[in-house]
Amino acid sequence: MKAKRTIITFGDMRVGKDSDRSKRTPTVRKIKSAIVAVDRTKSPAGARPRVETGSSAVADLGAPTAPRPTLAEQAALDRIDLSIDLAPARGASEHGGLILANPILVASGTFGYGVEYGEVVDVQRLGAICCKGTTLRPRAGNAPPRVTETPGGMLNSIGLQNPGVDAVIEKYGPIWQTWKVPVIVNVAGESIEDYVEVARRLDGVPGVAGIELNISCPNVGKGGLQFAIDRDAARAVTAAVRRATELPLLVKLSPNVADVRPIAKAIEEAGADAITAINTLSGLAVSPDRTRAFLGNTYGGLSGPAIKPVALRIVYEVAQVVSIPIVAIGGVTSLDDVLDFLACGAVAVQVGTAIFADPELPVRLGDQLRAECLRRGFDSYRPFIGTALPKRTGASSAKGVEYRP
Amino acid sequence: MTMRLVAAELVDSRQILPGQWLQSFHAPELASGSRAGQFVHVRTGDYSGLVLRRPFSINTADPATGIITLHFRMVGRGTEWMTRVREGERLDMLGPLGRPFEVDPRSHHLLLIAGGLGMAGVRMLADEAIRDGRGITILFGALSASHVYPSSLLPDEVEYVVATDDGSLGHHGYVTELVPDYEAWADQAFACGPQPMLARLAQLAAGRRDRLGVAKLGRKRGGGKSDPLGSAAARRKSFLQVSMEQTMGCAVGACLGCTVIGVEGPLRVCREGPVFAAEEIAWPASA
Repeated sequence: MKAKRTIITFGDMRVGKDSDRSKRTPTVRKIKSAIVAVDRTKSPAGARPRVETGSSAVADLGAPTAPRPTLAEQAALDRIDLSIDLAPARGASEHGGLILANPILVASGTFGYGVEYGEVVDVQRLGAICCKGTTLRPRAGNAPPRVTETPGGMLNSIGLQNPGVDAVIEKYGPIWQTWKVPVIVNVAGESIEDYVEVARRLDGVPGVAGIELNISCPNVGKGGLQFAIDRDAARAVTAAVRRATELPLLVKLSPNVADVRPIAKAIEEAGADAITAINTLSGLAVSPDRTRAFLGNTYGGLSGPAIKPVALRIVYEVAQVVSIPIVAIGGVTSLDDVLDFLACGAVAVQVGTAIFADPELPVRLGDQLRAECLRRGFDSYRPFIGTALPKRTGASSAKGVEYRP
Repeated sequence: MTMRLVAAELVDSRQILPGQWLQSFHAPELASGSRAGQFVHVRTGDYSGLVLRRPFSINTADPATGIITLHFRMVGRGTEWMTRVREGERLDMLGPLGRPFEVDPRSHHLLLIAGGLGMAGVRMLADEAIRDGRGITILFGALSASHVYPSSLLPDEVEYVVATDDGSLGHHGYVTELVPDYEAWADQAFACGPQPMLARLAQLAAGRRDRLGVAKLGRKRGGGKSDPLGSAAARRKSFLQVSMEQTMGCAVGACLGCTVIGVEGPLRVCREGPVFAAEEIAWPASA
């Protein structure tokens, strides 16, 4: 280890670009940072110590994701079409559809308003950003503690803390306007009037590309969950918002129901452009001393890899009864997860909880999907969609996808 | 320094107290860019379904060697995994995060109060204060003598006063009982530890100005100009600053998971904190 370090450092000094600097004797700090820099560009087969724990965390940063493509490979990658229109039915109108450069979105509640991760994440390379749930009036949220880790996932009960729609528009609208990545505002409310009013205020705001109706937040007394568990209520709130805005409209389903299909069908009939599936599952954790529930709100919403099979099942079911695009969400941590959801009929995928451990994951998934298309000889990712659905129904949910302006 | 993702190489790992570990990492970016009170969010192995990072106060940071240390207790699978990381392996750290302690340039004497693992929250401030030529007293509270932070790990310039719950070393009782002896000496106090301890300290600090007549003597900091609650300037003028703890999700202010209740509404420990002026927090009335 010692010898190798010396060699690396020496080589680095010899080829120093800055001739002025190379004459000086580097300080200890400079040498050490050079080691780090050099180590990072080494191939995965490099002599980085093997980790027997099977952890992906150790030295994850040290391993490059892929060797840099050649110019020809890059040109081939660039030709692959990852774009997707989540509101094909709006395509003809003046407002246009909701066209994403790639199908990897970041999920509401896990990415704030897009600014929090700062320079750690290049937001412009995301497919879209779903911002924190927004209500008509400011909300202080639930009592702490609000999050806890559970096997393969986490529970949260934030309780829709947000500054209210007007403050969101004022504070973040001007920033979003300068981004090329579409921002979809997640909207929550206690009554149909609330939802309609928030949608109305977002309509026409520069920088707002669409609305995702959160009719399924499990963490507030009247958080709209009642709209997601009842077919007629889901239909009513979707239709009311549809009348109030020209913005592309996504509606987010709750998994906390016996059969999600009639609800999805009602939402489609009421004029939603796309369906997001799924929100968190209602859950509970116990305090360490076992005298009470751990979370301040007692109940929390379960997310993370633990819920992926549930999300897959629901996407699979919904894909067979609706023809509008489905945006899948639930435990995505790898390209395999993305491909699983696409196979079950989703046309795009949201990444949520995994961002907390790996903020760069959503951007990387976009790159990996592109590379996978190239490897399979596809010129778009469409062939991945719906392949696992029963053959008799065909790729019904992909119909909306095929229809492009 | 703005936060970034850093690959920090473990160079040393020691169990310094029963169940408590001190690990040194080579991370020059963090060592030179961090201030006392800030923290890092460490990614642990996901082999057993751990989906969240773990937040740790930066215990010490030495820009000259590029070494930072973390001091933690093994409380669950994440920290247990960390104790088994071997020298030469790299951990993925996000940092530096949060807002640091704010020391008034005119404060000559700093009182640091730590309960148990709370030492990790204030430890780096001792180094910064000594570098700046300030006097430091650390009041430390623990269950018993065997849980007392080793004085060999503290700088020589520090006056170290210990209280144990069972009286096996130093003062017999809570560390908060030592504070009145020092409140006239100290220009500012900085604390980290269990929430009841912090609440008691806040209670003591609230009455200090009246007891000592500081305001009447015309030593009101900032000449009576009031800065907005939570601003760095307001914190600099505050007698007591506390480093708070809460279960955490993203650690960058996106998920709103790690809130504590402040007098003006919820505060994010990761973004507005982890350091707060005592008067920003709505302390439970029973304290």
